Order: sequence, then structure tokens, then C-alpha cells
Amino acid sequence: MPDLPELNPLVHGRLRLALLSLLVGVEEAEFTWLRAKTEATDGNLGAQLLKLEEAGYVAVEKKFVLRKPQTLYRITETGRQALTEYVRALKQLLGPAIDA
Amino acid sequence: MQDHTTEQELKDRLSLIESMIAEGRRNTEKWGWMFVLWGVAYYVAMAWSAWGHSARAWPVTMLIAVVVAIAFASLKAGNHPGTTLGRAIGSIWMALGISMFLLFLALGLSGRLTDQHLFVAVIAAMLGMANGASALILRWKVQFACAVVWWVAAVTTCFGTDAQSMIVFLVAIFLCQIVFGIYGVITEAQERKRRGPIHA
Repeated sequence: MPDLPELNPLVHGRLRLALLSLLVGVEEAEFTWLRAKTEATDGNLGAQLLKLEEAGYVAVEKKFVLRKPQTLYRITETGRQALTEYVRALKQLLGPAIDA
Repeated sequence: MQDHTTEQELKDRLSLIESMIAEGRRNTEKWGWMFVLWGVAYYVAMAWSAWGHSARAWPVTMLIAVVVAIAFASLKAGNHPGTTLGRAIGSIWMALGISMFLLFLALGLSGRLTDQHLFVAVIAAMLGMANGASALILRWKVQFACAVVWWVAAVTTCFGTDAQSMIVFLVAIFLCQIVFGIYGVITEAQERKRRGPIHA
């Protein structure tokens, strides 16, 4: 029987997984957009984004647009690879149950 | 971790990934209201033109529609992030708007915009092109059906009477602008409602 893959715990968290999945489809996204899509609280969202940033999965850019602060997030190559690996592991774990 | 992770939880994660990726790429449904706005604008211009017998009906109505569309779009787009797909779709509609504006302005000013059949055929063909291109990029059958309706309208208007041509145009506007636009708005609202908050 082949060894079952481990799921990356950093990617496995629901909110972190949602954030990486959202960011993989866009070039970069504002904090407010991520909050609207996930309907998470500011504190929770900020904490999970910080974990992803510390892991090198997302990059953050802070700037001012029309004198308003804007925080932009984008997925890094490491983050993209981590998500790809996670999906591969998930599919392997689910096996035939994936279509059930 | 797998020992504690149920199959249902894993499936839930997979479904979450799919829905979030789709959410990031979602574009056209967000613009359902824009289709309704332009559908209403066409009806207003046609009614004003028919009953008011005013040459200003189309240019004035279209100009107001452009201003309203830009104002609402800037409010609604807000912080929506850019995607290659979004830019591709947006550029099709932007190019369509510019082409229609320049063409009909020039035809109107030169006094050559006299054939109603030609007017309807050109509008319908252009809208068919834009809807068709969007539908093929998004692989969206409902929007492709709209493109087909516009193409059918473009062809049939060339053969019927004035009244038939007008009916074809009215029906196409109703189906492809009003009904399709409302469908887009409802789809977006349902999707938002279906997906609750995501917790860590």
C-alpha cells in the first residue's frame, strides 16, 4: 500500500486555504476584497494573512492611493507551489471518493 | 493529521478551493446590472425617438447611459482585483462601446443614419460579437445564447418590414439585456447567499 501524503497544516486551515485559493486567481488583492469574499473578521483575517506572509506564501505591499492606505496581497511562487502540492495530496487522499 | 480528518472534511476543502478560485475569476455576473441599464437605455431612446420625433433622442440617452454606467462602475468595481481574464472581457466591451459611439455619431452627423434596418443590423451584429467573444472566453452557455439571439436579430432585420425589424430589436433587447442582466444579478446574489462566512 503506498504511503499517504501529509497535508500541509499551514495550507489546510479553512480561512488560509480560502485566501490562497482566492489569490491564485488574481494578480493582487486588497485586504477589503479578501474580507468581503471570505466574510471573515478583520482580526482573524489579519492573523491568518500574517501566518501566510511569515511562511512566504503571500507577499504584502502597503501603499497610499488618494491619501488612503491600501494593503495589497499577492500569492508568491512558494505559495502557489504549496497550494498545488496540497491539492495533489488532497486528491491522492480522497482517491476514488473524489467523484462520490 | 489524516487520522483525524474525515473524508467529508477533505471534500469540503476541495470544494472550498474550487469555489474560491471561481470567486476570484468571477466577472460577468457582477455586471448584470450593466446589461439591464443599457437595455433600459435602448428602450428609452427608442420610445423618445418614436413618440418625441427628436433627433437628439439616441445621442442624449446614450450619453446619459454612459455617464451613469461609468459612475456606477467606479463605485461597484471598487477594490476588485485585476485579472487577465477580467481585462480580456473588459477590453471587448470597451472596444465595442467606442466603436458604436464613433460609428453612430459619424453616421448621425453625416445624415447617413436613415435606414432603420441597417441601424438595427449593425447594433445587433456588434452586440452578438461582444457577447459571443465573452461567452467563448468564459465558456458561458447562457451568454452564448444571447450572442445567437443578436446574430439572428441582425440577419432577420435585413429582410422584414420596418415594424418587424423593430419587434425583432425589442425582443432581442428584452432577452439579451433585461432578462440576461437580471439573471446575472440573481446568480451573483444566490452565490453570495449560498457561501457563508469562512472561519479559520
